[in-house]
Amino acid sequence: MMDFLRDYWHLLLPPLAGFAAIYVLLPKARRAPAALGAMLAGLALVVGGVLLFRQASNWAEHILFYTFSGLALAGGGLVLAQRNPVYAALSFALVVLAVCGLFLLNAAPFLMAATIIIYAGAIVVTFLFVIMLAQQAGPSSADARTREPFLACVAGFVLVGAILCVLDRTYSTREIDELLAQVQAVAQARTLDDVNKVLGNPTDRSPTDKVPPLVKQLMETIPDTAFDNLSQAWVGKKGTQDLAEITKKARIAYQRGRELRLAHGSLHAPANVPVSHLSGVPASEAPGGPRLGAHERLPAGNVANLGRSLFTDYLVPVQMAAAVLLVATIGAIAIAGRRPEGLR
Amino acid sequence: MTPVNLENYLIVGALLFGLGLVGFLTRRNLILMFLSAELMLQGVALNLIAFARYRGNMGGQVFTLFMLTVAACEAAVALALIVTLYRHKKSLDVSLWQELREPDQDPIEDEEPLPPAPPPEPQPHLTPAGREPAAPPQETSHV
Repeated sequence: MMDFLRDYWHLLLPPLAGFAAIYVLLPKARRAPAALGAMLAGLALVVGGVLLFRQASNWAEHILFYTFSGLALAGGGLVLAQRNPVYAALSFALVVLAVCGLFLLNAAPFLMAATIIIYAGAIVVTFLFVIMLAQQAGPSSADARTREPFLACVAGFVLVGAILCVLDRTYSTREIDELLAQVQAVAQARTLDDVNKVLGNPTDRSPTDKVPPLVKQLMETIPDTAFDNLSQAWVGKKGTQDLAEITKKARIAYQRGRELRLAHGSLHAPANVPVSHLSGVPASEAPGGPRLGAHERLPAGNVANLGRSLFTDYLVPVQMAAAVLLVATIGAIAIAGRRPEGLR
Repeated sequence: MTPVNLENYLIVGALLFGLGLVGFLTRRNLILMFLSAELMLQGVALNLIAFARYRGNMGGQVFTLFMLTVAACEAAVALALIVTLYRHKKSLDVSLWQELREPDQDPIEDEEPLPPAPPPEPQPHLTPAGREPAAPPQETSHV
């Protein structure tokens, strides 16, 4: 337990602060002043921004990502904290706008527009209509109460903490980065002594053990033939090491390691499963990196790619979605379309 | 230039999902419960879009499009159900529907009971003038 806390305290602290803030902010009969909850929430956001997220590539995307995510999480907190349901629906519209900003950062302009139109434009407006029709006289006092706020916040913290720990274990490349830094040191070595300082001396090893420990660790996490080539070059032909050969193989291994590092944590289907190429990079290929779109380049070709994918790979779900829409329309009218005297 | 981390978007999606979960468990207004469920869907949509971009596959965006469709249908049907429930109890409070729990569960009591509804204001008594109306007065709300 203590080891777990020691390894993951930086992941668990922001959700702890965040859900404590949510607990303070949830509407209760005697609620603490909103300023305290807001301060806690701001602290949680800042601590989360520092501890949770890793450096993105360029400044513009970094700043936009932080802005949109901060807005989305603040809007989500506002949805929970509002007593008036109309304000909560409007805060939800703010969340939708912020999440659509994140869609735009992920090269999905069509979905950004579709989500804004459908969610913030239609669903939230329908919510507001029903809220306004279904109130007797102003907000009721039941809106100012919540059921089991403490237990719900504990449940939320457990769920989010578990997800964050799993994400860190899957996608964190800390160990790989350290190993690759050592490979780069070998690639830049000037003398055989530098090489052997990192990899170990091949004459010290037993004749059957021809793999340096660094390559063993690398093969556990990112197996590739480039590292086998490196260990063969390290052993050398007939016991003599060739510096040029070793540095060349190390350079190749380092490049390969950088590519594989990006795909660390991805799952992909086995290569013998037939997967179509019409929707982009198929799931059976390991992504060497984020290759955006297969046929046209994203985001300009987003609609073309979506169209091709929808009408080739996902044709049946499109027809089924049409059927679902029809059934839902009929169902909604059937359920709520009667006047009160029809129900008695 | 190092590409963007996928993990960042997944973290934001997970946080939105957690917020929606807490909202769904705590709020008593039926509509706000449903709004929190939609908040969960936003987190999932963000996950899907991030994977679609990172893997270069359109499947994530297609799935999000279908999710949008289903969310619209779900909103229509759920709001129709909420309107029907409102017609029975004249309130959007989910704690009034305790009879739908399992028989062996005790009903949830409020820790602090709600203030009693204020008595309706007495209608002013005017001297009768003119003729009696032919039909009884209609309800004000048609919901």
